[in-house]
Amino acid sequence: MLANVFTKTTRDRWKGIAIGMATMAVLFLFGMSVYRDIDISVYTELPEALLSMMNIPKDADVGSLAYGAIYTSYGALTLAALVLVIGAGTIAGEERNGTLGLLLANPKSRTNVLLSKAGSMVLLTGLGALVLWGAGRITPVILDVNVSGIDVEALVFHIFVNALFYGFLAMAIGAWTGNRGLASGVTAGVMVLSFVAVGLLPLVESLENAAKAFPWYYFSGSEPLQNGISWGHLAVLVIGSVLFTVAAVIGFNRRDLRGQTSGVSIVDRLRATPMTQRVADQLAGSARVARIWTKTASEYQGLLFVTAALMFFVMGVLIGPMYNAIDNALLDLSDHFPEALLALFGGSDMSTPEGWYQVETFGMMAPIAVMVVTVIIGARALAGEEQHRTMGLLLANPVNRSTVLLQKAFAMVLYAFVVGFATFAGVAVGSLLGGLDMNIGNIAATSLLVTLVGLVFGALALTLSAATGRVPIATYGAVGVALVMLILNAFLPLNDNLTGYAKWSPFYYYLTSDPLTNGMHWGHGALLTGLVVALIASAVVLFQRRDLRQTR
Amino acid sequence: MTDQITIHTEGLTKHYGDVHALVDLDLAVHAGEVLGFLGPNGAGKTTTIRTIMDEIRPTAGRASILGMDTHDKSVEIRRYVGYVPDDLAMYPNLTGRDTLTYFANLRGGVDWSYVDELADRLDADLSKKVGDLSSGNRQKVGLIQAFMNRPDVLLMDEPSSGLDPLVQREFQTMMRDVAAEGRTVFLSSHALSEVQRVADRVGIIRNGHLIALEAVDSLRSKAIRRVDLYFDTHVDESVFEGVPGVREVTGENHHVVLSFDGQMETLLNVATGRYTLVDISTQEADLEEIFLAYYRDVEVTL
Repeated sequence: MLANVFTKTTRDRWKGIAIGMATMAVLFLFGMSVYRDIDISVYTELPEALLSMMNIPKDADVGSLAYGAIYTSYGALTLAALVLVIGAGTIAGEERNGTLGLLLANPKSRTNVLLSKAGSMVLLTGLGALVLWGAGRITPVILDVNVSGIDVEALVFHIFVNALFYGFLAMAIGAWTGNRGLASGVTAGVMVLSFVAVGLLPLVESLENAAKAFPWYYFSGSEPLQNGISWGHLAVLVIGSVLFTVAAVIGFNRRDLRGQTSGVSIVDRLRATPMTQRVADQLAGSARVARIWTKTASEYQGLLFVTAALMFFVMGVLIGPMYNAIDNALLDLSDHFPEALLALFGGSDMSTPEGWYQVETFGMMAPIAVMVVTVIIGARALAGEEQHRTMGLLLANPVNRSTVLLQKAFAMVLYAFVVGFATFAGVAVGSLLGGLDMNIGNIAATSLLVTLVGLVFGALALTLSAATGRVPIATYGAVGVALVMLILNAFLPLNDNLTGYAKWSPFYYYLTSDPLTNGMHWGHGALLTGLVVALIASAVVLFQRRDLRQTR
Repeated sequence: MTDQITIHTEGLTKHYGDVHALVDLDLAVHAGEVLGFLGPNGAGKTTTIRTIMDEIRPTAGRASILGMDTHDKSVEIRRYVGYVPDDLAMYPNLTGRDTLTYFANLRGGVDWSYVDELADRLDADLSKKVGDLSSGNRQKVGLIQAFMNRPDVLLMDEPSSGLDPLVQREFQTMMRDVAAEGRTVFLSSHALSEVQRVADRVGIIRNGHLIALEAVDSLRSKAIRRVDLYFDTHVDESVFEGVPGVREVTGENHHVVLSFDGQMETLLNVATGRYTLVDISTQEADLEEIFLAYYRDVEVTL
């Protein structure tokens, strides 16, 4: 282990983990205090299958509700996402920055460097878990909530091991390919898919065992909060992590280091082939560089493709037929399930096709999918050019700063609408395949609203990047605000005294009007649009008046 | 060189908090001129160029190009300006030709046969991705980008970094061609030999202050030279003290070494009047010595 590599990596990376987990701690305090003040007896009457899907235990009390709702889903996902970003950057990040060659010019082996960085990743994950554990122990004391019989340590330990699994997977892909984007993209895909699958598959009796094929099952399947640590399940994750580490060491040692280049895409290969050269030249060359927005759009086509495909096939088409496979009696809760409670899962009554789609597709996944695209473009399109020192050259052309910004914003808006349309098309096809007979206009309305709410946070990222020129501030700022707003909108309505404050969250204007059943709420749509326009306008003003950054 | 002023700064000042990166810069560059802008790292060269390009905004003062204010008319100005930024970075995913097409679409007025001619002169490969090029070859794409629409004003910040000597020579010819066509080159550099070869005038900047602005020829003529005098007998160095232009003198046996920036005739009269001068050698003045002399001698009050 190289102490200085270990220390430097830790120093570079601790802030993200600390901020993310501190946010979780605050949300946990908030969630638990809400649960403490409401009547939670309704939960005990819910069907078991549904409870397990929502990560809520049988015989739930205030404590287990709070841990289940905040830690088991949001907490575990957030920590795993932060760690996978670290894992992906371990080798591939330094390679992309062009600093890896310099680091390896020292008399230290590649294996040693890799393992030192892996060690730092483990330490950081541990620190994150420690924050969760501390908050999980202190909060009940502050709020005077009885948490006896709940195994917080086991849950946090599961969260820790689970996060590392994705960290090591991303590290292995990054070390093997040197491509940071690929590493984080694939790993995030695996994580989200397996999270969704583990929530969904147990609802269908014949598919119950299929969940075991997904790694997330070995995190939550044993219900560590009630049952304590499941060493067998954790062993699966640990063995996986060890295998990934071995793969990382082998892959990293056997290949050439990459320069600062981005690799060869499919279009590049087509361009090199005489037969396809002309068309590919159009695609990759002249068409791509025709305008600022076309070039911006072309840079994020991979991201768009993956996100839109996921929304169309998995969250759209697949969900429809699945509705029929599930015993609807399980989901018929309209009598004893207060709407406000379901709001936590973006939900309404799941026994109707609309309610089903709202919980599964539109509640969490659709806004996240749109936001992934808009926030990444919003944060990188502008500040990324400053970070990569190309902004000066771009602005040496006779174009306004506002033109540059608006063209980049246009690419973001365009892509948000593509994701929204893919969601719409997927749900429409899914409804058709499942014979659910949902109203097409209402699906379109909901898809439009999710596009707009996603754009609010993309525009926020754009504004932050216009104001600061820094990608991390724009990304983490927008993601942080979005996460807080998402959870506030879910929790505030649970308490009658606080429900009015939910109107301060943009998400309130997305599903509160129940567009999937009631159709478009133009007032809400106009409000979200106004917010997007205002944010982009402020981005223009902020970008016009400041000095460009000079990064080295 | 004509009387028409193409780049003009008046009291141009840029502070970053307490750091005075650029102080009261008054500068007029003329059409048909190559102005070399010299200074050590951190002197304010890049700050000057970035301010003129409206990348950063002056704390005080103003700058204009072709009579247009660089901030108010920044977009209009950029139709007439070619720019090579310091530590040039471009889009690694695009080929050289894609990169040039991108900028040509934004700029207009690009003659592609001229682009090919430039690529030919600089021996640049435009079919490869910029990310796959060596830094010198990448720099060539950046240079073509700056020259391709025949701008009236070229602002270049350390443009020849990474270029091999042959290409550097060609690039210098290109700069002279631009000046010969009545256009302007503002060349920031610390490659002294290059500035010496191509520049009509040289500005020297230090700690944000312009401390000299003179024609290369006149700067050279007042250069401090090292003069070695060899006599047939011992000559005491004190003989040369007080001779106009002698700055420093050391002697050893038959050999006297002078730092000298006066008229050679005066010196020779003293040297040959009473003694027999066997040999004389003077080291050719170059900008490097001038440059060092300025940095050693000129006191700058901040």
